[in-house]
Amino acid sequence: MGGSASSVPPDLLGEYQELTFLTKQEILIAHKRFSELVPKEERDQILSARVPKDKVVTLPELRANPFQHRICRVFSTAEDGDDSLSFEDFLDMLSVFSDAATSEIKSHYAFRIFDFDDDGTLDRKDLENLVNCLTGDADGTRLSTSEMDQLIQNILEESDIDKDGTINLSEFQHVISRSPDFASSFKIVL
Amino acid sequence: MSYHYNEAFENPDYHNSETLESGRRKASQMNSMFRQNPYDSSPYDSYTDHDGREQRQSYSVDIPMATMQPGLEVSQSAKRWGTPNANPYGNTHINHSFEYEPEFTYTPPSTLSTVDGPFARRSSDASEASIVQRRNRQRADSVFTTSSDFDRTDANAAAYNENKESQEEKIIRNLASMTTRERIKAIQKMPKTMKEKREIRNKVLMEKTRKSVSYSTEIHCCTQCMYKIALSYRRFRNGLSELFQSLQLWQKTLKIIGGKFGTSVLSYFVFLTWLLTFNIFSFLVNFSFVTIPQFIAAGSNNLSFTGLELLTGAGYFQQTVLYYGFYTNSTITKIENSTSYDMQLAYIFTIGIYFVICFFSLVYSMAKSFRNNFVNPQTYSGNAGKLLCIWDFNITNEKAVRLKQKNLSTQIKEALSEGKSEDLNLSLKQRMVHIAIHLAAWIFSLGTTAVCCTCVYYLSINNLKLFMKGDGTELENQAATLVLPIVVSLLNLLTPFVFSLLELLEKFQYPRNQIYVTITRNVILKMSIIGILCYYWLNIVATSATECWETLVGQDIYRLVVVDFLFCLLGSFFGEFIRRIIGTKCLKNLGVPEFDIARNVLGLIYVQTLTWIGIFFSPLLPAIQIIFFFIIFYVKKVSLMMNCQPPRKVWRASQMTTLFIFLLFFPSFTGVLSVVAITIWRLNPSEKCGPFRGLSSIFDAVSRWIDVLTNYPRSAWVVWIYHNLIESVHFFFILTVIIIIITYLYWQIIEGRKIMVRLLHEQIINEGKDKMFLLEKLRALQASTRDTPARKGASQQFSTTSSLYQPPGQLDQQRHLSMPNYLERPLEKNKSSFSAKPPYTADFPETSGFLPGDPQRQQPSTKPGVSEALALAMRARQQAEREMEDEDEEDFRS
Repeated sequence: MGGSASSVPPDLLGEYQELTFLTKQEILIAHKRFSELVPKEERDQILSARVPKDKVVTLPELRANPFQHRICRVFSTAEDGDDSLSFEDFLDMLSVFSDAATSEIKSHYAFRIFDFDDDGTLDRKDLENLVNCLTGDADGTRLSTSEMDQLIQNILEESDIDKDGTINLSEFQHVISRSPDFASSFKIVL
Repeated sequence: MSYHYNEAFENPDYHNSETLESGRRKASQMNSMFRQNPYDSSPYDSYTDHDGREQRQSYSVDIPMATMQPGLEVSQSAKRWGTPNANPYGNTHINHSFEYEPEFTYTPPSTLSTVDGPFARRSSDASEASIVQRRNRQRADSVFTTSSDFDRTDANAAAYNENKESQEEKIIRNLASMTTRERIKAIQKMPKTMKEKREIRNKVLMEKTRKSVSYSTEIHCCTQCMYKIALSYRRFRNGLSELFQSLQLWQKTLKIIGGKFGTSVLSYFVFLTWLLTFNIFSFLVNFSFVTIPQFIAAGSNNLSFTGLELLTGAGYFQQTVLYYGFYTNSTITKIENSTSYDMQLAYIFTIGIYFVICFFSLVYSMAKSFRNNFVNPQTYSGNAGKLLCIWDFNITNEKAVRLKQKNLSTQIKEALSEGKSEDLNLSLKQRMVHIAIHLAAWIFSLGTTAVCCTCVYYLSINNLKLFMKGDGTELENQAATLVLPIVVSLLNLLTPFVFSLLELLEKFQYPRNQIYVTITRNVILKMSIIGILCYYWLNIVATSATECWETLVGQDIYRLVVVDFLFCLLGSFFGEFIRRIIGTKCLKNLGVPEFDIARNVLGLIYVQTLTWIGIFFSPLLPAIQIIFFFIIFYVKKVSLMMNCQPPRKVWRASQMTTLFIFLLFFPSFTGVLSVVAITIWRLNPSEKCGPFRGLSSIFDAVSRWIDVLTNYPRSAWVVWIYHNLIESVHFFFILTVIIIIITYLYWQIIEGRKIMVRLLHEQIINEGKDKMFLLEKLRALQASTRDTPARKGASQQFSTTSSLYQPPGQLDQQRHLSMPNYLERPLEKNKSSFSAKPPYTADFPETSGFLPGDPQRQQPSTKPGVSEALALAMRARQQAEREMEDEDEEDFRS
């Protein structure tokens, strides 16, 4: 598992296993991958190092993901809001995206990832952002304004149970519970 | 775990977590924008810029805001929320005793929440509030608690903190009362950061140790011992699960496939590996309990090996452990006078127990799959909601991502245009034409199936005659036996293509129906071919005058499996490789082929059915199947990577997997069970070969064994079980009745639940309507108060409170600023610097006025009566929501 300095202390490893959905093997792999992101001079204290966002999104698992910035934002605990990830944040992220995570926690974080303005509900703006991420930014694939309006209207009609114009967490989880593919598709494995 | 489920997102901690830092940051950005507003360029500007922080700490909200009429102005329209300069008192922050505006501007976490913080708390229970509201409160707290002031807000904050603490204590107490495993799971499930989870865990552990100390110390040793055992058990479990995980085949390959083609294609490969594990298990069981003992007792094989046997399965293989006929009927004793090994019983029990295990594991995975994937299918409406969870995070390949985005875009556009054209109802004539086409297609496909079956039947009878006659050279005979499997495989390969041509004619309205219809036709075809073959084996071969009919059947199945494997390879070569060459070189508009998941999975189900039938006649068939599945996996993977593109249509992977598991169970496995049952109970085993030679039926071996056991009093219970449970009709009758009753009860419960769900759904909608109605009223009320007394009161109050500090001439500006709403709106739009990101409102149409989801936000301006009504509405809604969640959870469980 990497060099001599770059292994996880056993007690900490046990703690990580207890606090996340990851297995020992997965944590060690995560550690290895994370240490590759940390610059050489900081390798000694990987557990306290923070990797800036533009480094994190170079991971092949995230590189092409249209939600990469949101993922970094949601899982980052950086004080100054630069979306950098510490090793524990990284583990948190992998834990949520792992196979073993329950679909409740997955949908909870999916909601936060899709909540682009972090206001606790999915409103029209969020949905528009979401659809844009899904269809890509290219001119050919982008939806026209009227199509977007129609689509968002449809989404709200179906998902907004209490008709308040936004989708809140429980409504979102309700929709997710009807879509069994979610748990298998909301997954990132290193 | 319903408790945690609810607790997870109701816990305010989440909203205060550092991960929501961004919200705060945004607010601070807003602050800088506020400063840029034109009205801040007053001579006092420098003051606000420099002393912002101290100011925030020193102001006191002495005047309750609800009584402050100016507050109304701020909150009357949602649009105006973020624009303090639209407020008539926009630049009154020079006033120290009336520092309304500065508070509004200088609270870092959320400019909005600080205003409504105290009011939100006053008007509704702290424990019952929506997410947004709670977060606002949270923010407010973080502001007010840092201020050195002591006022009502502080008291509120303290009360709130207390509440929060008690909540946390409750959580911790709850966690402490759980078992270790439950606790770990519960903590894992919390949507919090690692740091918070660790804190909670440590607190729980502290609580636990405190409790255990206070309880007693004398059983300390014992508990420690227990704890150690539990710990080592847990370690052992973890180690075991890790071992299993590392044993999982092709983890990396599967990841690559998923990364490039998404979950849908991945499901085929997962299914393949699943079948592979079935076969590995069956091979291990058969090999260790049937084949190894046979090796000990085996005679010598004097047939020569030519190589053609690999294809035909005849010749040399006839005298090997591959086939039924080679197994001995004697008891095997290696050491004299020790316990012997009865081959008959071993054969029958091994295969019997294997089928029982298969049955339960299939039922288990089917039930699990159904439970997870067909939750309330009748309320599954439309597609738009699906968009929320359509993104496949597995896809990591950049090209694949772009392709996926393109596909999604076209799909959405198609769906939208379909939605528009759906209103056009078809005329009667058109409908008749549609029905006629469907009918014709069905008749055609069923006719094709019938023709195929007849063809297979006569060919197989002809084959048997040829074999019985035995004239011609050995090589000719062997080649002749290959005709049947080749024809069967050809039919299996080509007819589905004909069926897919029918699809083009039929034009289904929904692609889902098309998939289901195609799958049904293919299943009917494959299963009837297998059915005809079974009829031939059990009724014609078994009664023919051959030396060893079981071996013949085994050979037939062997040939079918081998030839099908070869055709599968050819199919992926021609169907995918050549197709890609044509698609990219000759006919450009055909394009790169897609991987046909349904056809491939049905092929797998077909082969697995053959293998299951064959297990009895050729116990080592699973071994051959393992090799084939390995090769198929790699060939399909390479072919997929080289030739195919990701599927364009949405493939509902989970539901399809459920369907395939069901198909594997229903026509396939149950059919196999009946075939094996007929073989065991009804048919005469061959006279001169196999473990059951000389018996009238295979099951006789068991009854004879029981007869022997009757003489031993120690094994009387086996005899009792045999007579009273296995042979007894009454037992099965009672069992069936009980199961039917239970099924009926469950069915009734489900019906009741369905009604309940519908009612609750209606209730939620009604609550929503109520809320809308109340908000409507509220707005009307606001409008009326704003028009008359509010304006007057506001200006009056203003003049009394701040006239002292008002420089002359500024009052005019004030009046000018308090212009009506409609005049102000254009003003706001100019200030794009702010309105670019108004946190809640900008994208809501004017008609709705303000965001109904956050009614508390508007509360500073409401009268107590109205706010109470609102709080009531909110509470009702949340209650409904909670009920609904509970209901959902129950649905999941049932």
